[in-house]
Amino acid sequence: MENIMNLPFLQELLLSTMRMATPLLIVALAELYSEKAGLVNIGLDGMMAFGALVGFLTSYITGNPYLGILAGGLGGIMVNMIYAVATIQLGAQQIVFGMAINLFAPALASFIYKAYFGISSTLAQATLMEPMAIPLLSEIPFIGKILFHHTIIVYIAYLLVPISYIFFEKTKAGLNFKAVGEFPKAAESLGINVYRQKYLACIICGLLAGIGGAYLTTAYVSTYSDGIVSGRGFIALSAVVFGRWMPTGVLFAALLFGFADSIQLRLQIINPETPYQLLAMIPYLSTLFALAFFGIKKSGPKANGQPYFKEER
Amino acid sequence: MNFKNNLIKALIPIISILLALLTGALLITIIGGNPVEAYEYLLRGAFGSKNNIGETFVKATPLIFTSLAAAFAYKCGVFNLGGQGQFVMGAVASALIATTNNSLEGLPLIIVSLTAGTIAGGLWGMIPGILKITRGLNELIVSIMLNYVAILFMGYLYTAPLRNGSVPQTAAVRANLSRLMDGPRTHTGIIIAVVLAFGIHYFMFHTAAGFKLRAVGMNQIASFYNGFPVKRLMLISFIVSGAIAGLGGSIELHGTQNRLMSGFGDGYGFDGVAIALIAQLNPIGSLIVAYLFAVLRTGATTMQVGTGLPTAVIDIIQALIIVFAVAGSALTNMPKIKQVILKFSLASKKEED
Amino acid sequence: MSQDILKMENITKMFGDFYANKNINLTIREGEVHTLLGENGAGKSTLMNILVGLYHQTSGEIYLRGEHVQISSPRKAVKYGIGMVHQHFMLVEDMTVFENIILGTKHDKSIFINRDKLKKEILGLADRYGLKIEIDKTITEISVGAQQRVEILKALYRGAEILILDEPTAVLTDVEVVGLFEIIRKLQSEKKSVVFISHKMREVLEISDRITILRSGESVKTLDKSEVDAHILASLMIGSELVTSDYEKVESQQDDLVNITNVSYNEQSKHNGLNQISLNLKKGEILGIAGVDGNGQSQLAQLFTGVIAPDKGDVYCQAIKVEKFKPQLFIEKGIAHIPEDRNKMGLIGNMSVKENLILKATETDHMSSAKGLFLNRKAIKEHAKEMQERFDIRCSSVEQESRNLSGGNQQKIVLARELNMNPNVLVAVHPTRGLDIGATRFVHDKMIEARDSGCGVVLISADIDEVLKLSSRIAVMFEGKIVGVYSGINPNIQEISMAMTGKVD
Repeated sequence: MENIMNLPFLQELLLSTMRMATPLLIVALAELYSEKAGLVNIGLDGMMAFGALVGFLTSYITGNPYLGILAGGLGGIMVNMIYAVATIQLGAQQIVFGMAINLFAPALASFIYKAYFGISSTLAQATLMEPMAIPLLSEIPFIGKILFHHTIIVYIAYLLVPISYIFFEKTKAGLNFKAVGEFPKAAESLGINVYRQKYLACIICGLLAGIGGAYLTTAYVSTYSDGIVSGRGFIALSAVVFGRWMPTGVLFAALLFGFADSIQLRLQIINPETPYQLLAMIPYLSTLFALAFFGIKKSGPKANGQPYFKEER
Repeated sequence: MNFKNNLIKALIPIISILLALLTGALLITIIGGNPVEAYEYLLRGAFGSKNNIGETFVKATPLIFTSLAAAFAYKCGVFNLGGQGQFVMGAVASALIATTNNSLEGLPLIIVSLTAGTIAGGLWGMIPGILKITRGLNELIVSIMLNYVAILFMGYLYTAPLRNGSVPQTAAVRANLSRLMDGPRTHTGIIIAVVLAFGIHYFMFHTAAGFKLRAVGMNQIASFYNGFPVKRLMLISFIVSGAIAGLGGSIELHGTQNRLMSGFGDGYGFDGVAIALIAQLNPIGSLIVAYLFAVLRTGATTMQVGTGLPTAVIDIIQALIIVFAVAGSALTNMPKIKQVILKFSLASKKEED
Repeated sequence: MSQDILKMENITKMFGDFYANKNINLTIREGEVHTLLGENGAGKSTLMNILVGLYHQTSGEIYLRGEHVQISSPRKAVKYGIGMVHQHFMLVEDMTVFENIILGTKHDKSIFINRDKLKKEILGLADRYGLKIEIDKTITEISVGAQQRVEILKALYRGAEILILDEPTAVLTDVEVVGLFEIIRKLQSEKKSVVFISHKMREVLEISDRITILRSGESVKTLDKSEVDAHILASLMIGSELVTSDYEKVESQQDDLVNITNVSYNEQSKHNGLNQISLNLKKGEILGIAGVDGNGQSQLAQLFTGVIAPDKGDVYCQAIKVEKFKPQLFIEKGIAHIPEDRNKMGLIGNMSVKENLILKATETDHMSSAKGLFLNRKAIKEHAKEMQERFDIRCSSVEQESRNLSGGNQQKIVLARELNMNPNVLVAVHPTRGLDIGATRFVHDKMIEARDSGCGVVLISADIDEVLKLSSRIAVMFEGKIVGVYSGINPNIQEISMAMTGKVD
């Protein structure tokens, strides 16, 4: 137990928190954009799995993990377009179709992996993304290593937070975007193309969710396996609720959950006698308790989850 | 009028299945396989021998339970995605009773164990229910989080306190559900499953309670104004849904697996959701679709051995069925298409008159 | 003589086989207030929706300042200077007044919102037209009248020259109506044209320059204000087929069924609360609750049916004090409810007609055995067929999903179900809203029947004519209070109208 309260351990812990929070943050932001436009997308796990696969495969074939990230993002968009068409054009129930994506996309990912690599149990290895230290800033004692010594994706993820904040609060496009999730009929009457905004939201959501998945197989580790996503999509969902549909709130939630995940892993190493399962429960239980404790004071964009049908002309 | 409506509803899963199989054939061709041969192996794997046919029923049993649980919940407007966790907790309760020291043996043991599993599942399902009713929490996320907690808890049990031997698994349960015949592993669980399906169907459509639950699922506010105890009914749906899944877990433990180990119950939860959705939330439909899924799963390994095609193909086909079914369902609910269907069914009614 | 700036020529709009508008001709002059007068369902909103680009006309042409135009979308309508204030405001509740006004606009090239500059512009505009607004408050924080001003400002901000006001006074108090009329005069002086849609005679006579009457989708006549009075308008609006029959109004001498004493609920709210209400409902009478929509009537209905419990005060049902407020319990006491929103509160749309008819009766011995364990399908179907006949519910079969029926027939389902309870009390909220003349008559007949068999009927309606036609006594609600109770027999319309605006002597 003495190992815990020393600086190197703390530093490792916080560093790992940042890394583990990153995919959660990216995917939670993906869902944020989707829900702000009124679309609840629970297919995040599925998009992440597919993005992870596409990213890994691209990185493996080209040797370039950055291309992998890009490809992963595109993969996420492709998958989410199925959701988009079903929910926006056909008015399918969003929860149900998100569920369908969760069943379909990972299966497809697994299939492509096996088709390419065969059914062996050894994991193929691709190139791992290297962290890029920010000159000067990364030399600050203690914090420097934690905040400024990461892969570029991490930096991008955290930059997305202020960018999203500015988009939603300070730009015209952001205001119009939010209106679509609050009162689509009013938005339509003001000349905002509701369908187009929703599709845009799906593209952003797919892009970010795919990138979040690709991060797992190109920067976090450099292999792909079927369970790599392990429910992160759903944790990202709760991060949006927990963060009260605000970019800053989502950041806080992602860091919190990332911290819980990191601590659980580290405690496993320190106390190997404790069955690791109990510790592994921490992220999930902490999500539950956080939600139960804070409740739902505000329930999100008013028209969230409702299908929108343009009136017959 | 109702008959025509039901016919259309039944067409959706049928067409989805056919489309999915076709797409699967396409996929197989793309990666250089022979779809006809592949499907041949599939069918052989499922129906080729008495044992194989028995296996299909073995695999169908847990799926029937989780899909009934999901169908029951959704019909009442409750998004219970926690079937996996409830299934596992049912098995956990049974393991606690049937592998530890106590005086129960034989049939009494089975009855107590199954009851415990049912109650455990019901309690586990109640948690998201209570949180929803008292705190307004979205049951979706809560139930999914609880899935992970349940699976990890089970893992903890067979790794430590209930561990039996050097491999992480529990001891075998002291009593098993009897086999239906010599040879195949089919056990009495399938009979319980089928009876349950019909029971739920009757409950939903022929009792006042089922009527009220369905009403709440369709329009909460109107149900409230008409005097239905909405909160109580919702809680009941959570509990009953969880109980069904929990019973399924117990039956799987006593009927097939006999001990808890890594991978127990894997995938049954979400597959159950998929099946329920494909079957348009109809209990009898769930029976049929669950059996279909079992057939696919049973034949998949034979297909893989015979042709070298990865079993993931079957996963994709299963996933495609649900994608098509849900899209088809949404399509037929679109206002414009509804008009067409309405005209079609009205026209035929006039002929019937 | 000001010129025509808008001409709608032979406009026809069909939805399937149904003519919402048929060969309508309408011209609007610059700087005039032109009223579209007609009953519910006459086609006014449809016509205006065509004008603002939400609908496409099936046939007919539109000319703006002599030029032929195609108004293919709301964007186009805005471009042509046409703006509309809808009956149900199109305001995003959680956004501020400022945000709602600039939503969807692009007054400069920047992607950022220049808050200071734009706010200044808007406040200047508001000042010019006498529109008082609180620019940084959210919509939920401002009054209904203020919300309407925001809607008007929205249109003006987008350069509207023709402003359509759809039933603007439906949600306003009398004071607010005066304010609105001042704003309309201001608009006129700035050469804006106003299309005023209403079915309220008194206002129409006050504010209009010209009046076009619509009836059953067609334009009947266009008259100048000098040519009209209430009688002429009324007969043109209603047409000669409708003969309003007088019901015999009965004043009840019987016991109280329900007694509400000093009840307050959500006291602070003027539009969604009850403020120290005392009211009694007798057996065998129709108690009409008159008042402009949004003065606490919804809450009163909810109190009568057990949906809400009072914060203060007591409710007695047949002299016994009510301790628990739940719809279930009130239904058991024999209180029936025709709710204000039949689709949200009264019917389960996805269920069939026959299922909706037995919504409250699934555990009765008639419809099932063993207290609901075995539903008797045959009995349920027969009951439904009987109700279908008795209440003239037009549907192709009782198996049809109730959401596929027309509004009038849906209301009949609710009526059938509620009256079948043989209720002691019937709470009817806007029972004939959206119904055609025949269906309205039917519902009124049934209410009188109920009254005659001893039921106490509470009739809550914003349609003062309906209230006057049926009530034994009339209570007027204003801002959550009962401001007066009047006799329904030979009612003093003057006094009652004044009470409705809050002015009581």
